[in-house]
Amino acid sequence: MSCSNYDWNAYALGEITGAARGEAEAHAASCAACREELAGTRLMLDALSTLREEEPPRRIAFVSDKVFEPRWWEIFRTPSFAGALLIAMAILVHAFARPAVDQKEIQTVVARAVADVQANYQKQLLADYEEYQKQERLNYMKNARLVRQ
Amino acid sequence: MIFREVEDRDLIAKARRGDVEAYNLLVSRWERRVYSYLVRLVNNREDAMDLSQDVFLKAYQNLGKLDDPARFSSWLFRIAHNEAFSLLRRRRPEGELSEPSYQDKGSALLPMEMSLAVESALKRLSEDQREAVLLKIYQGFKFEEMAEVLGCPVSTVKSRLYSALDLLKTTLAPALLRGELRGES
Repeated sequence: MSCSNYDWNAYALGEITGAARGEAEAHAASCAACREELAGTRLMLDALSTLREEEPPRRIAFVSDKVFEPRWWEIFRTPSFAGALLIAMAILVHAFARPAVDQKEIQTVVARAVADVQANYQKQLLADYEEYQKQERLNYMKNARLVRQ
Repeated sequence: MIFREVEDRDLIAKARRGDVEAYNLLVSRWERRVYSYLVRLVNNREDAMDLSQDVFLKAYQNLGKLDDPARFSSWLFRIAHNEAFSLLRRRRPEGELSEPSYQDKGSALLPMEMSLAVESALKRLSEDQREAVLLKIYQGFKFEEMAEVLGCPVSTVKSRLYSALDLLKTTLAPALLRGELRGES
């Protein structure tokens, strides 16, 4: 096999494996030109390997990016939403489960309450008037005793 | 092969289910490699950083389209390649590509003389050649994986890479002859 059949770049880059690699090595052992070419390639690759990997000046992070915000349907999975939903459902259930109120009954209760308030008011007014009269009588008697003395 | 407690494919599966932390861990594993590839390809740190952000964002958005999680690396670099060349195409009319601004940024990134020589030699390559070297030498992709990343046949990959290696040999010859490599390694 002639020298042109050997790809020393591919060999040095580890792209040639197995039997083909062994064959290339056997050829290089007996061919000074190929050995020199391979040595030159390796030297150049060693030189390239001295270049360090670049460090990013800052971390790349996506936590706060918009794309990472929860999708609209993911809101339903949050505890706060679940709590609010539970309360809202309880209110709705209570509203619908409560027995219907009879308007006549309400009017009767209200009328009775109004009558009670009016009766209490009149009773209080009467008691105040009697107390007033009692005080007036006492004052009159006190004044009359002072006049007699 | 570096042992990892949690494999990339597990993180990918979790990220697909919306686990942000899993994706952030995946990013932390790959950000350095992606950034390093991009910074040498576009020759600008800020652009490389912006592109890295875009790459990982697009990767997250399209994670569901990744058929085989085992091919995550070549898939990720395919996105990085597209992003980088999109930027390079936008730059072209301004003529920025002929004189890369990377070195002009000032900071002494690579103190060793050989590293500087390599860095300078890489800049002399065309974008396609440089990318082939970056993917092969610095990212360790196989020819077939490179073909996936670049979206071209393996023969094209080899052609770009070999022509780049020939140019690098010529460019680096003086430095290699001075024996600087031996002194540093």
